[in-house]
Amino acid sequence: MDFEPKIVAFVCNWCTYAGADLAGTSRTKYATNVSIIRFPCTGRIDFMLLMKAFENGADGIIVSGCHPNDCHYTSGNFHARRRWIVFRSVLDFMGFDTDRITFSWVSAAEGTKWAGLVDETTEKIREKGAFTDFKKLDVETTNQMIDEELAK
Amino acid sequence: MKNLQNKVAELFENGTINLMIGFKEAIHKLPVPCFIDNVSQIEQLIFTPSCKGNLAVYLHKIEIKQAKKVGILGNIATLRSLVQLTSENQLGDIVKTVITINAQGEVVVFSTMDEVEAYVQANFPEYTDEDKKLLEQLNAMTRAERWQYWTEQFSACIKCYACRAVCPMCYCPTCTVESNQPQWIKVSSQTTGNLEWHTMRAMHLAGRCINCGECGRICPVGIPVHLLTAKMNQEIEDEFGAKTGFSCKSGYALNTFKPGDKEQFIK
Repeated sequence: MDFEPKIVAFVCNWCTYAGADLAGTSRTKYATNVSIIRFPCTGRIDFMLLMKAFENGADGIIVSGCHPNDCHYTSGNFHARRRWIVFRSVLDFMGFDTDRITFSWVSAAEGTKWAGLVDETTEKIREKGAFTDFKKLDVETTNQMIDEELAK
Repeated sequence: MKNLQNKVAELFENGTINLMIGFKEAIHKLPVPCFIDNVSQIEQLIFTPSCKGNLAVYLHKIEIKQAKKVGILGNIATLRSLVQLTSENQLGDIVKTVITINAQGEVVVFSTMDEVEAYVQANFPEYTDEDKKLLEQLNAMTRAERWQYWTEQFSACIKCYACRAVCPMCYCPTCTVESNQPQWIKVSSQTTGNLEWHTMRAMHLAGRCINCGECGRICPVGIPVHLLTAKMNQEIEDEFGAKTGFSCKSGYALNTFKPGDKEQFIK
């Protein structure tokens, strides 16, 4: 069977969620691989949620919210942007493939941008293949534990 | 050493402090932390270049807070933690006296945080050569090599959380690792859970770590965990121009923003 990427989108309620809604009501066709999770604001999107998504089998992640200066809560996305800059460099320094996380600004009027973003991300992840880095690690530790037990 | 002990005795006698956090000599001439609460114990007090421990971590303990008038002895990293903790409003007014010994071997006594700040700014510590070398090596590696390096290191982690216990900046009463509804970090020491723990630690300390290197020194399995936070500090200084433990009023880089923060990755 062909590989179908699982993509999780963390979006803010006020812009990107409305943008995705617009894409739906205007019947724009886009990849069905994405599962959208709605947040009150991008400032609410904790980096641990992204880690957990990868741990639970996501192959790619989209994080999206209001354009700078458009935040419903005035400054949520500015704070989020700083956090993403730092989070990306933590992941990069650890050697994690940061290309699997797509960051974007999508406003409530940009239904087509949203559709394009999902299509593009799905294609990119399809090329990259399934995310197995975490699974491999767990299998390795488990195998090691079994070997140690058997050696006793 | 006599100078230092005399100074501390003076502070006890005029009632400035009623508890002194310092170092004493233990077995094999190794320095260990000691807590002096009366004049008769002062002769234990030592301060040598091997006193690398960061005593600021004890300031979060309830027993120390109850003493109310605390004196603390420390190297430049400890002073830097005091500055950072002041900027995070964590010290209250329990620290009455800070003592250090400068490069010339003189005892320096500070009675306010502003004096400590000025001293830290004048003697701002650099990364050690060893850390610089390791950071350069890691930066020169490819992504896959770094992943290999860190996962190998983290597979040894036994989740003792010594890196957390020794860190003066890790003072939350309840840590995310203790949360089990939802459980963010796996309890067992599996590599993915270890990776999550160290990512979380690096993120929560980014822009707050003061590079004392205690976490790396304390690690029982020798993971250079201090490199992660050191790298984040570098990154934050480059991106946002914020230096940690440099000013009592600087605050936390991730708690603020500039509308013009630059990035290239957001589409």
